[in-house]
Amino acid sequence: MPRVTVQVRDAAGHTATTTADYALSQPVLGGYYLSGGADPTADMAGGNFRSLTQYRSFADGYVFPGYNRPWLINLGKAGVRMNMVLELKHYGAANAGPQSFRVDVTDYTVPAPSMTIQQRPGTTWPKAYGYSQVVNGQCDGLLHRALAQYRTLGFGVNIQLASELDTDHEFGTTEDGKAYTWAESDARAVQAMNYILTWFKARTLPAGTTFSVGVGGFDRACFQRTHPESLMSRLDFLQWNAYATNAGHTALSRFRRTKDWAVADLGPVALSRPVIIAEWGVRSAEIPDQPAWIATVPAAVAQLNAERGPRIVQTNYFNSGWGTLSPRAAGLAALRTAYATRPYV
Amino acid sequence: MATPTATAALSASVYTPGDQMLLTVTYSDADTRPLTVTIVVTDAQGNSSAPVKVTAVIDPLTLTVTDDSGRTWTRVSDNGSVAVYRAVA
Repeated sequence: MPRVTVQVRDAAGHTATTTADYALSQPVLGGYYLSGGADPTADMAGGNFRSLTQYRSFADGYVFPGYNRPWLINLGKAGVRMNMVLELKHYGAANAGPQSFRVDVTDYTVPAPSMTIQQRPGTTWPKAYGYSQVVNGQCDGLLHRALAQYRTLGFGVNIQLASELDTDHEFGTTEDGKAYTWAESDARAVQAMNYILTWFKARTLPAGTTFSVGVGGFDRACFQRTHPESLMSRLDFLQWNAYATNAGHTALSRFRRTKDWAVADLGPVALSRPVIIAEWGVRSAEIPDQPAWIATVPAAVAQLNAERGPRIVQTNYFNSGWGTLSPRAAGLAALRTAYATRPYV
Repeated sequence: MATPTATAALSASVYTPGDQMLLTVTYSDADTRPLTVTIVVTDAQGNSSAPVKVTAVIDPLTLTVTDDSGRTWTRVSDNGSVAVYRAVA
């Protein structure tokens, strides 16, 4: 770590000496996600893509590397950093039932998920394993099954618990017929995340394992509620997502919004953690020239990292949903160019 | 003679190579005093020149900044109590 030494000397030779240390960072990792969790190898080939976001449900019997996803092992062994989003959300049928399975020598029966999330009016509310089910130990089998698979993967990953707690809780949650407000859901989630962290950290994990908790980062109060220092002391990263969905949205404004809230509201432990942008994207409906917007991202990230507060160390483009690249070839070319630019190199 | 004091603060703790780094040094010494000398020259007939002002510092302070990584720090500003230096990471 380089050190600057400052000496002040007066006319008589009396001196005062002080020092300041600084560190030099690694380049920011430019990363990707391809719609449907599909094989992104072809899109990433030839570009400086160094990280990848993936989504798995704890309900799935194939969490690591995922069902029919041998390419994930190849990319991971080639050094691509994996941000594995593990969700209590059930991706499948609304009537998901209980599961019985064996992990190593232990037999488990995990009950049906008892919670609904993302309760947007007029939509079908997805099911999820409930925060009470987690803290009561009823989901231990799911954790054990995921860990057993993880141990055979061959490399360490970041485990991001939940995709976006704010999206999950925005309209409240319901578990076992009891309704919880957004704020109550956040508090319950923090307890469940702590339980899961305790469970994993009590066991042997592959080298390089890190943890974070997922949020969209669009609500300041929720961001603060879900990042207490007691939780952050057990996490390795801050995380939020950044989307441009309005013609007036600049890369700098979108990447900085949640950072500004973090700097204003969070404690020193949280602010000591680097930031993973698990998803970023630009919506073509409002910003048809996606390549031009993507081209502004490196300078925005560099500027934010030059300011005080937590540093962004990984940004994964979400080529799906809001971020769908259209036309695809031009968008991918823009990503390649961006990731070949400082601070990504 | 008093002993000077100094504190140094960097604009960040971690820099990306190529970033501008700023170092702010706040320094003082109880003996250090700025003063202004005003000179009026008067001849034998009592004719006086216009006053001329010069400034001086009693017990001036010198700052030196070194970096064990070999980076060169360049002074950007110095008002006598706060000095700012710049280097490239």
